[in-house]
Amino acid sequence: MHYKILIIEDNEQNLYLAKFLLESYGHVVLTALTGIEGIKLAESSQPDFILLDIQLPEVNGYEILEKCKKNKQLFNTPIIVVTSYAMAGDRERCMSAGANGYIEKPINPDTFMQQIEEFLLN
Amino acid sequence: MSHELRTPLNSIIGFTGILLRGLAGPLNPEQLKQLGMAKNSAQHLLALINDVLDITKIEAGEFEIFKNKYDFRKSVEFIAESLNPLAQKKGLAMLFNVDPAITDVYSDKRRIEQILINLINNGIKFTDKGYVKLDCTLIGNDIEMKVTDSGIGIAPADIEHIFKPFRQIDTGISRLHEGTGLGLSICKALAKKLGGEIMVESNKNIGSKFIVTLPTGLKD
Ligand SMILES: Nc1ncnc2c1ncn2[C@@H]1O[C@H](COP(=O)(O)OP(=O)(O)OP(=O)(O)O)[C@@H](O)[C@H]1O
Ligand SMILES: [Mg+2]
Repeated sequence: MHYKILIIEDNEQNLYLAKFLLESYGHVVLTALTGIEGIKLAESSQPDFILLDIQLPEVNGYEILEKCKKNKQLFNTPIIVVTSYAMAGDRERCMSAGANGYIEKPINPDTFMQQIEEFLLN
Repeated sequence: MSHELRTPLNSIIGFTGILLRGLAGPLNPEQLKQLGMAKNSAQHLLALINDVLDITKIEAGEFEIFKNKYDFRKSVEFIAESLNPLAQKKGLAMLFNVDPAITDVYSDKRRIEQILINLINNGIKFTDKGYVKLDCTLIGNDIEMKVTDSGIGIAPADIEHIFKPFRQIDTGISRLHEGTGLGLSICKALAKKLGGEIMVESNKNIGSKFIVTLPTGLKD
């Protein structure tokens, strides 16, 4: 199965990394460096799911998560948080804000796609 | 601080992983070997950073516990699966026993796993032949988790030091074992946070036993 994936991530190296990894499995990858830009792109391109970083400039990932869940065009789009923000309670906070999954950075390229697919199935 | 320390590691671990998988093109055996070493070191650095971050938070009193109801036996199975290869590599027997009376637990799954993984890792690290085992028994409303090994043991004079941060016993042998000496101090602080305690019994050259007692969190 090949997905259309939107990655919202402000660190360019990490963005390149995730994009390269997912593209090498044949997925189509769209990218945004800020949350607001990400929401616009998600509305216009309707990705299969969104990978969202938490520590973003201006509007952070939690707020983006909430905006997406309230957005008529996006509330059904699964969102998987991918973050190195890993503080105690982050996972719980993201999940209760409506995230479908939570992956801690550093990501493991060997298992990244599997982790995502498990979240999508649940 | 955790974000700042882990972001660069994401790209180091991620790109070495991608290269090792051959996703950016084929590598010759020497390149694979060197990248493999780089990846191991990066992974080791990540473990150190995670430990240092934990101890910093614990010492600053900023440490939080997140309790959920979870299947204790399943969590032990997960631990067994992830640590078995390490024991196998050293030719050690690994034994896991969970009292059938133990079902669900209401506690911080991740933190309990962290304690057990630390203790079993130590058992594997400080044992050259024989076994490492975990026995979990239900005692009233507590679970007693005993990690026993047939390893180098700890001299009575050293026992009081092992729970202090950055303390490793200088036996000449233990210098061969890498680590920061943070594992046990984190375990002790976590056990306390979770409403329990951790004790140790050890005999030099015979083996050690670490006993963690934690409430199941379920009232009946
Ligand atoms: N099962 C054991 N058998 C013998 N000695 C042990 C055992 N567990 C711990 N020790 C001693 O106690 C010291 C402190 O243990 P601790 O787990 O805190 O640190 P470490 O394992 O050396 O490093 P780290 O856990 O941070 O990687 C060890 O260095 C070792 O000397
Ligand atoms: Mg240790």
